[in-house]
Amino acid sequence: MPKLSLMFEGKTVKEVPIGSRPVTIGRSPDNDLPVDNLAVSNHHARVYYEGSRLVVEDLDSLNGTFVNDLRVERATLHDGDSIHVGKHSIKVDASHDAPIPYPADMGRKAAAPAINETMVLDTKVRREMLQQAAAMGERTQFASGRLKVPTIVVLSGKTANHEYVLTNKLTTLGKSSMATVRLTGWFKPQMAAQISQRDDGYYIGPGGKVPSVNGAPISGPTRLNDGDIIEVCGVRMNFIFRE
Amino acid sequence: MRIVSGGATDVGQVRSNNEDCFRLVEPLNLFVLSDGMGGEAHGEIASALAVETVVKHVMDAETNSSIPSYGNPPAALTPQTRRLVSAVHLANRNIFNSAEEHPEQSGMGATITALWINENALSIAHVGDSRAYLLRSGMLQQLTSDHSLVAEQVRRGIITASEAEQSEMQSVLLRALGTQAEVEVDAEEQALFSNDLLLLCSDGLTRMVTEPEIAGTLQAETDPQKAAARLIALANENGGADNISVIVIRLENESKSWLSWLRPGARKHRSSNGSSGGH
Repeated sequence: MPKLSLMFEGKTVKEVPIGSRPVTIGRSPDNDLPVDNLAVSNHHARVYYEGSRLVVEDLDSLNGTFVNDLRVERATLHDGDSIHVGKHSIKVDASHDAPIPYPADMGRKAAAPAINETMVLDTKVRREMLQQAAAMGERTQFASGRLKVPTIVVLSGKTANHEYVLTNKLTTLGKSSMATVRLTGWFKPQMAAQISQRDDGYYIGPGGKVPSVNGAPISGPTRLNDGDIIEVCGVRMNFIFRE
Repeated sequence: MRIVSGGATDVGQVRSNNEDCFRLVEPLNLFVLSDGMGGEAHGEIASALAVETVVKHVMDAETNSSIPSYGNPPAALTPQTRRLVSAVHLANRNIFNSAEEHPEQSGMGATITALWINENALSIAHVGDSRAYLLRSGMLQQLTSDHSLVAEQVRRGIITASEAEQSEMQSVLLRALGTQAEVEVDAEEQALFSNDLLLLCSDGLTRMVTEPEIAGTLQAETDPQKAAARLIALANENGGADNISVIVIRLENESKSWLSWLRPGARKHRSSNGSSGGH
């Protein structure tokens, strides 16, 4: 059966057969051939048989579909052609002609799921991909260029300093001399609470005490939002992202 | 604080060779884990070289603190953390040079995650997508950032954490040891408290076992060696798609608070121990 092979950095990432149904290509996971790249539109292109002719059709994608380096709206494909979407290329293998019809529920998530071998992007490719990502600017909390600095401002209660910038993966709040936010005064636990930086944000969790966020005691690690009020051991703090 | 540790590694259910490597250096409280990559047996060479270099450099520095330091670690870090970062820079150089000298090793590389505990200060040096976790007060928190493409995309708000877990690009690293002449090394320092539990693992664990499962296992099995074995068994039960390595480190309370003097037998125990001070 003819097939499309998604290539990345010279390696085959995924293969899908071309059957009687169009093969859809795009960034959204509901495509037959999902391409995880920001330069690729959600529904970028499709490949299908028109009679015995194999056709690629661009679905009004933002950055275009290229066949052998020519931008196309619609083009006939031949064995060995390369379709380019974003940073990926898709190799066309039509050496075994004639599509074989297969049931409509097949074909999805068909072939090998992932790059199995660990690989390292060289600096140039890495920079390009990240720039591209930033340029696309979707849900850009951090990509906007102005780095936002997570900060704790003490509103009331006894602490060593008035303001703390969270620079570590883990920030501890407590009486310990090694705590980042050092609580002073009697009967404070060595480690009262902790704030953990994860890839998707900052989370506060319990230590010797259960902290409250916006007046409600937390029941587990709780994501902090800009402006949240944290209370622990009689200390009130404001969690903010400074520009 | 008393520190007990255990570690284990397993080839998994799919791979034919184990490219992971780890070392527990208990006298120093130094713990190092590496996941190698590269064709043939070169991933194994890279990870072994990474671990050996880090251990040797730290041990050499313990006997002679004037030995050279590599990579110019930031002055704001403690001497221990600077030494650990220096060791990782040296490991990068050794792997890179080995690959230059032996063309068949070209493209080999390794991750590294190294922990060094001095009293209650934890130093971490890290490159790649192996991880260090801290389990404290029931909360499992990652102390390292993955240097992978998908993690970077999550940090930039481009994809969500759950999209990252589904991504086909999970194996694409942005940083590793041995692939470039110089590498950026992450350094982190943390205060440790008694009953803290530290976990070092390769991605063969974290891709197969969820964080709640990991936290549950670590809480249920208090013996570090058995906990490591149990985590590896879980990863294998869930598919074992990659090599799995795990180090578990538990910090136990040596009850030495002033209240312990009031307990029966406390004085006797202390004197028979020959320990002094320590408050």
